[in-house]
Amino acid sequence: MVLKALDIYKLLPKKNCKECGDPTCLTFAMKLASGKGDIDKCPYLDLNAKNILGASTRPPIQLVKIGVGERRFAVGEEFVVFRHEKTFYHPPGIMFQVSDIWPAEKIESVTRRVGSEHFVRVGTDLTFSGVAITNESGDPDVFSKAVGVVEATGTHIPEVLMAADPVVQEEGLKKCGNFRPLIYSATKDTYKPMCALAKKFGSPLVVSAKDLESLGEMTKLCNAEGITDLLLDLSFPSLRDYVPAATEIRQKSISRSAPELGYPIFLDTTRYEMQDTALVLGIDKYAGVIVTPALGPASSVATLTLRQNIYTDPQKPIQMNPGIYPVGNPGKESPVLLTVNFSLTYFTVQGYLESSRVPCYMFIVDTEGLSVLTAVAAGKLNETLVRDSIKKFDLENLVSHRRLIIPGYASPLSGKIEEETGWKVLVGPRDAAEIGDYLQKEWKI
Amino acid sequence: MAENSPDLGGKIGYVVLGATKAEDGTRSVSYRLGGESDLPFIGMKTSLGSIPLVAFEICDDPSYWSPIVTSYTGDLVSDTPEWATAAEQQYGADLVRLYLTSTKRRGFDDFPSITKVTEDVLSGTGLPLVVEGSNEPAIDSEIFQRCGEAGQGERLLLGTAEAGRYRSVAAAAMAYNHSMVAQSPIDINLAKQLNILLREIGVKADHIMIDPYTGSLGYGFEYSYSVMERIRYAALKGDTDLAMPMIASAMDSLSVKEVREADPVIRDDIAVAWEFYAALSSAVAGASIVCVRHPKTVPLLKLAFRELWAGKKPGEF
Ligand code: B12
Ligand code: SF4
Repeated sequence: MVLKALDIYKLLPKKNCKECGDPTCLTFAMKLASGKGDIDKCPYLDLNAKNILGASTRPPIQLVKIGVGERRFAVGEEFVVFRHEKTFYHPPGIMFQVSDIWPAEKIESVTRRVGSEHFVRVGTDLTFSGVAITNESGDPDVFSKAVGVVEATGTHIPEVLMAADPVVQEEGLKKCGNFRPLIYSATKDTYKPMCALAKKFGSPLVVSAKDLESLGEMTKLCNAEGITDLLLDLSFPSLRDYVPAATEIRQKSISRSAPELGYPIFLDTTRYEMQDTALVLGIDKYAGVIVTPALGPASSVATLTLRQNIYTDPQKPIQMNPGIYPVGNPGKESPVLLTVNFSLTYFTVQGYLESSRVPCYMFIVDTEGLSVLTAVAAGKLNETLVRDSIKKFDLENLVSHRRLIIPGYASPLSGKIEEETGWKVLVGPRDAAEIGDYLQKEWKI
Repeated sequence: MAENSPDLGGKIGYVVLGATKAEDGTRSVSYRLGGESDLPFIGMKTSLGSIPLVAFEICDDPSYWSPIVTSYTGDLVSDTPEWATAAEQQYGADLVRLYLTSTKRRGFDDFPSITKVTEDVLSGTGLPLVVEGSNEPAIDSEIFQRCGEAGQGERLLLGTAEAGRYRSVAAAAMAYNHSMVAQSPIDINLAKQLNILLREIGVKADHIMIDPYTGSLGYGFEYSYSVMERIRYAALKGDTDLAMPMIASAMDSLSVKEVREADPVIRDDIAVAWEFYAALSSAVAGASIVCVRHPKTVPLLKLAFRELWAGKKPGEF
C-alpha cells in the first residue's frame, strides 16, 4: 500500500512546529510519501498514526546501520530491482568470519587485517567491512573472550555476533554492545529474548527462518516487540535458493506488496563450499551483509572490484575533477597530455605515465565522466572545450611551449583543436600502454 | 521457492549449436540454448532454461594472445588443434571459440590456412565450435566464406557481426546454415537495431546470439552487466527483437592492470578470479555462453553452473 502525501498529512499532528526539520507538517508528509522521510522525526505522532505510517512510508527496504564511528556502514534503503533503473545505494558489508575457538592471535590477525587492509581502485579506497565472530564453543565465556580479543585490537570495525543462544549472545554484547554490532540471529524460538537484547543494546538483528513466508512472520513478530532494524537471513541449506529468494524479496519489497519483507538481506557464505560463487551471487543480487572466511589475495581484489562495479551509479561514471595533474616533477618544458575526466581513463593513463618515467602534465578536461571514444562520439570532447579549459586552468603560463598531445582516439579533432587554440596538436597512440614509448621517441623540445 | 516475476510474458528463443552424427554433423554433442521465460534462476520449476555453457577461447596465432595463458600453457598454444583437444579433454569446456588472429598480420592473404585450421580444430575436438573471423573488413568476405565452408554441416557459431559490418558474416552463416554472433557496444537500442538489420537480410532469429560487449571486471563491467539485464528483461516482457540468447566474453580480463601487473606468484589466481567473477555475473545477468581464456577458470565455472542450475547437464532442459 502506498500512501499519498495528503493521506499522510491527515494523520500528522498539524502543529507545524518544525521539530521534524521540515517547515510544515505538509512538507514532512510529502517527504514521507516519497519514501525519503523518517516518521520518528516527528515527536508528536500518536501510536495509531505510527503504525499506519510505519510500513508504508519508510523506504521500501529499511535502512539499517551497523557499527559506529568511521567504519560504520548502512544497508537497505534501495529503490530499484535493476541498477539501470536508477542505481544501488548501499553496497553490502563484507565481514570476515572469526571463530571463538581460534587462538587469540588468529582472531586478532584477521581483525587487524580488516582494520588496515585497503585497495585503491580508480581513486576510491576499497575495504572489507568488519568481522563476524562465531560461537562454535557453545560457551558464553569463551565467546565473550573472543569478542574481547576483537575489541582489544582497537580497530573499531563493525561486528556481527553469531551466537544462536541468547545467553551466549548477551555475554558477547556486554563486551561490544555500545558499538551497534549486528546480532545473529532470532528464530521462532528465540526471538523474544533476542529482541530484548536488540532493544537493550540498540543493535540491529538478523531473523532466520526456513522460507520467505516464515521470515515475513518473524519480522512482524519482532516489529511487535518494538524492533524494526532487521535483516533477513537467506543462508538456506542450498545456495541454489539464494538468487530466487533474494530476487523475490527485492521485487516484493520495492512494489510494497510484502512490506514484511522490506529489510536488507543477510548471507552467510561460510555455509557453502563454493566461496567465490556465493560472494558473486550475494554482491550481484541484493545482499546487505555478507559473511565470508578471510579471503585470499585474488578473491579479495575481485570481490571488492565487483562490489564497486555493481554499486557505481550507472548515470554518473566515477569522475575526476578536471584540471592539471602533474606526473613526476614536470617543468616548463614538459609535455602536456590531454585526456578526459572519466576516472577509469585517468587512472589507466596515469599508471602508464608513471611507469614511463617522463615527467609531464595530465590535462584533464570535463567530458562529464565519459571515456575518450565515448566523449568523441557523443560530441562532449570538442575543440571549444579544449580551448576553454586551456584558459580556465591557465595552461599557457604553466608551460613555455605550445604543444598538446591528444589521445589517438581523438585524432579526428586534431585539426579543429589546432585552429581553435593555436596550439600544435600531436596525436598520441590509441592504447595507453604505448604512451611511454611514444614520449621517449617523439617528445623533443 | 520463488514465484515467477510479475508482468512477464515473453520467452527467449532457441539457438542450436553443433550437429551430432544423428544431425548430419560430426560433433559429439549439440546444444540447444535459450527457452527462459523468467529472470535467471527465477521460476525455477518452469523456466530455468538452459544451463550456461563455458567456451574456452583459443587462437591460431598466439603472438596476439595474453602471455599469462601462453606461459601457463606452454608450447601447446602453437598447435591450435591440440589446444582445442586440451580445451575439451583437460579443461572440460563445453565449447571451443577459435579466434583467427593470424588474419591480424599486415597484408594477410594466406586464405587456404583458414580452411585448414578450421578443419583441423574440428578434428581436434568433438565440441561445437565458435569461429571468430577476421579483424580487417577488406578480407572479411573471403575469411567467413572459408570458415563457413570448412564447418559446413557442423552448425558453427560465426562471429562477429557489428552494425557497420555484418554482411560477410551473415552471408557465410546463411549459406552454410551456421548461427552468428551479433555484437553491439553496450547499448540495448543498438542491439535491437542490429538484430533487425540482420533479419532484414534474411538471417533467422534462431540463428542469432546477442553479444552486448562485455567489459572486464573493473573496466566497464558494470555497464555490460546492466545492459545484459536490460536486454533480457525487455525480451521477457515481449520484445522479440531481443529475445535471443546472449554470449559474454570479458576478453580483456587478462590484460587489465590488476592482472597484468600482479605478483607472478599469484598472477594465475588473479587472472582466474578476474575471469570467474565477470563470467558468473554475466550468467546471473542472463548470458547463455560465457567465454574465458585461462584453463583454470573453466572447471570452476562448470562447477558453479552445475550447482546453481540444479544439476542439469549442458543441453538438457
Ligand atoms: C563503456 C562504454 C560506454 C558507456 C560510457 C562509459 C564512459 N564512462 O565513458 C556508455 C554505455 C554510457 C556509453 C555510451 C555511448 N557510447 Co560507448 N562505449 C563504451 C565502451 C564499451 C568502453 C569505453 C571505456 O570505458 N573505455 C575504457 C577507457 C579507459 O578508454 P579511453 O577513455 O578511450 O582511454 C584509453 C585510450 O583512449 C588511451 N588514452 C586515454 N587518454 C589518453 C591520452 C593520451 C594523450 C593518449 C596518448 C592516450 C590516451 O588510454 C586508455 C587506455 O588504453 C566503448 C567500446 C570500447 N571498447 O572502447 C564504447 C564506445 C566508445 N561507445 C561508442 C558510442 C557510439 C557511444 C554512444 C554515442 C552511443 C551509444 N552506444 O549509446 C553513447 C554516448 C554517451 C552519451 N552520454 O551520449 C562507440 C564510439 C564509436 C566511435 N568510434 O566513435 C564505442 C567505441 C563503441 C563502438 N565500437 O561503437 N558507452
Ligand atoms: S514535527 Fe510533527 S507536528 Fe511538528 S511540523 Fe513536523 S510533522 Fe508537524
